[in-house]
Amino acid sequence: MTDSRPAPSSRARRPSLVALFAMSTAGLLTFAGCATIPDTPARRAAPRTGDPLIDGNADLAVAPDKDRVLLEYRLGVTALRMGDYELAKAKFDDAIARIGGLISGPVDAAKRSRGLFTAEREKVFIGEPYERVMAFYYRGLLYWRDGQPDNARACFRSAQLLDSDAESDTYKSDYVLLEYLDGLASAKLAADGSEALARAEKLTKNQLPPYDTEANVLCFVEYGRGPRKYAAGEHGELLRFRTEPSRIRSATLTVGEQTVNFLPWDNLNFQAVTRGGRVMDHVLGNKAVFKQGADTVGDVALVGAAVAADNIYKEKRRVVTDAQGRRRVVTETERNEGAQTAAIALALVGIFSKIAAAATKTDADVRMWDNLPQYLSFGALRLPPGEHAATVQFYDANGQPVADLTRRVTLTVGDPAKDTVVILSELKR
Amino acid sequence: MKTTSRFLLLASVAATPVFFTGCETTQGVRNPAGVPVTEMRPDEKGFVQGTGVESQDLVSVTDKMARSIVGIPEIARAQTKPSIVLEPVVNNTRFPINKDIFLSRIRVQLNSKAAGRVGFMDREMMKTLERERALKQSGQVTASADPNVVEFKGADYFLTGKLEGMSTRTTQGTSDYVLYTFRLTNARTSEIVWEDFAEIKKQGLEDAAYR
Repeated sequence: MTDSRPAPSSRARRPSLVALFAMSTAGLLTFAGCATIPDTPARRAAPRTGDPLIDGNADLAVAPDKDRVLLEYRLGVTALRMGDYELAKAKFDDAIARIGGLISGPVDAAKRSRGLFTAEREKVFIGEPYERVMAFYYRGLLYWRDGQPDNARACFRSAQLLDSDAESDTYKSDYVLLEYLDGLASAKLAADGSEALARAEKLTKNQLPPYDTEANVLCFVEYGRGPRKYAAGEHGELLRFRTEPSRIRSATLTVGEQTVNFLPWDNLNFQAVTRGGRVMDHVLGNKAVFKQGADTVGDVALVGAAVAADNIYKEKRRVVTDAQGRRRVVTETERNEGAQTAAIALALVGIFSKIAAAATKTDADVRMWDNLPQYLSFGALRLPPGEHAATVQFYDANGQPVADLTRRVTLTVGDPAKDTVVILSELKR
Repeated sequence: MKTTSRFLLLASVAATPVFFTGCETTQGVRNPAGVPVTEMRPDEKGFVQGTGVESQDLVSVTDKMARSIVGIPEIARAQTKPSIVLEPVVNNTRFPINKDIFLSRIRVQLNSKAAGRVGFMDREMMKTLERERALKQSGQVTASADPNVVEFKGADYFLTGKLEGMSTRTTQGTSDYVLYTFRLTNARTSEIVWEDFAEIKKQGLEDAAYR
């Protein structure tokens, strides 16, 4: 005959208070680790006026310091395209001063961003080399516009230098336009620009126009959309670029009888993807390895905790003889203190490992200067002082004009002491 | 079973610190409250520094040039005060700079330290001066001297300079060398009567987060 003694009370089978406390605390901590990413002020919905310059300045006013350069890049080029050159200068000057001061400047944030539990995007943004190059390029155009071709040349040289540490020698300092403009500025300053021209010619298959120092209208044309960053890899630790071919492949500017063709001289998409690996990629790779390792340790420890918890109570059956001499089978529950302690300890290790894994920030920084063009081009022409009606026409890959982008512009040639700089972009902002 | 449990317990306790040694310790945030405005001498290195042309370079270079110019015989032993016209400095480096600032500081140094031994012609003001003279000549404004007599002084010397640079950038860092040369040219003979130079080299390495 089999008789079961009453099972232990539910209270006796419940995990101990310590275990419950540990579990609930760990649960809370786990969810605390899943911090949502707050909207950066750059993306915060501020009252919009519809004026990109006013809105851009409003964004800048509330932006954290780490995003300031990014917003200045964006606003600077928007101002440039909208003809607010003073604002563009102010923004690029501040951005360049900030990125120039980083060698011994605000490195604390950068140092923290290399840590396991801080995301790369927490560092002060200065941009990938192609973005920094473009800041110097645009500032160079503004210097040239102000009649300072030597300072413009300085910017082009700084820009070219920024590209000089690409991983592959083939792609070091390979901006055609920067070399060409370096030489053109020298030629305009009555110096020898032939070496720079020769370097530019080596970098391109296109036939570059010889320097015309008498050309007083310098046209800088840009079209297409620049590279987009995204985080790839299992843990988002790989910085990658999405590049879409531009529908626009060339442009022309017609002023009276003169027509200048603008074929692509430089391609920013190409520049972004030919830089090679970053040192930061290794740092993020190590973070990803740590995250994966911590996650695995957490899984193993939690499984171990479950196994140990399963062994806390063990049922034992034994035959007993009562006072009347009847024998019966009795089921007893035995509590294993060691297994209980082990279960708690393993659960804690597992949960802390999981928290550490969740808190490890592996994502590559994908903040990007998102209003850059894909192609850069240049042409120069001679025009007498005064106002000149001109037509800008963009062409697709088949050489067909894209009608909705055709624009009539007025070129104003003023002070003969300095060149007139015209910046024409397919992008409006 | 009890032995196994104790083993598990000890192993897990031992594994915890080993596991967390993998976590990089945080040294703490420096300057959490920011850095208050610090007044610095223009010739000292600040806590924010790049490899470009900075105020300490400007001060040291222009001090050296001013001391050098004032000692040359053409200035020190001139019978009449020589007139100098400043010509813009040529910037052949990779750093955009305010080109006037070098010559302005040399001029101010010479004016304040050379005790009137040199005179500088204010050619920046020429358009304004010519307009004023035209007003005087037309009788629209009064004149203390005959406005038809040309009194604008010509240059005895031209002072100018050139900044040239060499830059290298690798994964090991950025290196910038800037050579500052200044010269004084006789306006009549084109002879360079004085020339001097200063050179500054700087190197820096950006944080790995930016490389």
